[in-house]
Amino acid sequence: MKIAVLAKQVPDSETRINLPAPAPEIDDSGFTRVLNPYDAYAVEEAVKIKEAGGEVEITAITIGPETVKETVKKDCLAVGCDKAVIVTDPALDGADEAAVASVLAAVLQKESYDLILCGLKAIDDDSGQVGILVAEKLGLPHVSVVTKLTLGDGSLEAEREIEGGKEIVNASLPALVTCQKGLNEPRLPSLPNIMKAGAKPMETVTCADLGLEPPANLVQVKTYSPPPARGECRLVEADEPAAAAKELARLLNEEAKVI
Amino acid sequence: MPNIAVFIEQRDGAVKKVAWQMLSEARRLADAGGGEVWAIHLAPAAGDVAAKAGAHGADKVFNAMDDAFTTYNSELWGTALANFCREKSPDVLLVGSTALGKDVAPKVAGKLGCACISDAVGLTHDGDWTVRRPVYAGKCFVELTPTGGPFVVGVRPNAFVIEEKAGAGAVEDFAASLDGVEPKATVARVEAGDGGKVELTEAEVVVSGGRGIKGPENYELIEKLAETLGAAAGASRAVVDAGWVDYSHQVGQTGKTVGPNLYIACGISGAIQHLAGMSSSKCIVAINKDANAPIFKIADYGIVGDLFDVVPALTDEVGKLKG
Repeated sequence: MKIAVLAKQVPDSETRINLPAPAPEIDDSGFTRVLNPYDAYAVEEAVKIKEAGGEVEITAITIGPETVKETVKKDCLAVGCDKAVIVTDPALDGADEAAVASVLAAVLQKESYDLILCGLKAIDDDSGQVGILVAEKLGLPHVSVVTKLTLGDGSLEAEREIEGGKEIVNASLPALVTCQKGLNEPRLPSLPNIMKAGAKPMETVTCADLGLEPPANLVQVKTYSPPPARGECRLVEADEPAAAAKELARLLNEEAKVI
Repeated sequence: MPNIAVFIEQRDGAVKKVAWQMLSEARRLADAGGGEVWAIHLAPAAGDVAAKAGAHGADKVFNAMDDAFTTYNSELWGTALANFCREKSPDVLLVGSTALGKDVAPKVAGKLGCACISDAVGLTHDGDWTVRRPVYAGKCFVELTPTGGPFVVGVRPNAFVIEEKAGAGAVEDFAASLDGVEPKATVARVEAGDGGKVELTEAEVVVSGGRGIKGPENYELIEKLAETLGAAAGASRAVVDAGWVDYSHQVGQTGKTVGPNLYIACGISGAIQHLAGMSSSKCIVAINKDANAPIFKIADYGIVGDLFDVVPALTDEVGKLKG
């Protein structure tokens, strides 16, 4: 069985965005970059499938500059992926969801994968589109926001989170699954495994190597802006908590009109 | 002259509120720009949706009635909406950012080869379209312009205000043309979970608990206040990672992003990744023992105090107000 994991390097969730005024770009120079937390569930799920037995080969696939290699090595190869393909091409700087999906689909078409796993979204762009777009481009079924995955013979059963419950979805393989928190607990790489991961195959390719014109964006960025400023906090003070609570309830009801 | 199509999502006959919010906003845009508002409704039976859609601003309501639209299926819904866009050529198709909407919007865009913008909170049209959405879970916002049309926009619940007017839309049948579509993934069954009665991302009021609740047994304080308010119960990453509360309650950059009218943070200090997930809430209340907690910096109202005293007292007071 061949499994592909689509991975993205993103700024750590503790990152602060320094954007005092609207600007066409975000200053990302001080960002600490990590594997997208949702992609970590995809990596872990692939490794668990491999550990369950049988012939399984896991390929991590990503798009990004040279600096993504360290993340791929540490958070994909050192925890159990067998090899990696990295698309590094300056033409893909600022690529939108559709362009990224086209490139990933081109990489995936070079091999025949039985299962493609990725995070339900990346925590920087937050769009949650790429996995589903890739599946559509490849003509594969997908199940999104999956919290439990069971593989059968040529098929899968997945639990997908919906409002107030879950859908249990059956799909034929090959298929693409986008992973949600709760699917598993991603392991941390050990130091010896990080050392060994350096010996695993890591192929770097460009769009030209894939026989692909860099795809045009369908969406143009006009401007980034900081969130709207918020007013001062009004502290409700009283001798007793009950009195403070009463005053707060009154303010929310009469002044803010939200209850 | 923008013509705006709005997808009316229903599950078991109940229409998602975000559909009425999108229709209301589409009406405002169409009135300003001189276009029409179309509702596209996929369901096994028409019900009273057309009348309601008309009252929320739809000029035309397209009913695609088919037994296939009983249980959600990405391929069938995606094909039907893509066929609708091909045939009617709206400028834009609005789809609510619900579990179903987030799944089907990219599917439709993929089939059409068109732009898709997720989780929009603002739309303007001045010849070109501009779509505003949060990125980095709301640490900043971006304004985007799609190239060409039709394009698909996912709309965040509660981003737009519902407006009802007297009026009725013209009703037309729409043939979804699903013959020959054979989905390779199907929903076998739907199970109710323990995620609470009110869905976090759609709730108008959210009450969240953080590490200050001290243990899983105290989360019921949060749930009681939430229940009294008719609110959804949320949680910080710390309490989810500690295993006190199911992850489906998590608010933050690696959980759910919410923008309710009222967000009450109880015993939450306000880590940057949590603030990112809720800072677009219209009114924020912080209840925390530590007067220096960062949550007070973005709160509109605050009580510096012990949540074990304040939250039950607030529950009582809200109960009195609600009668």
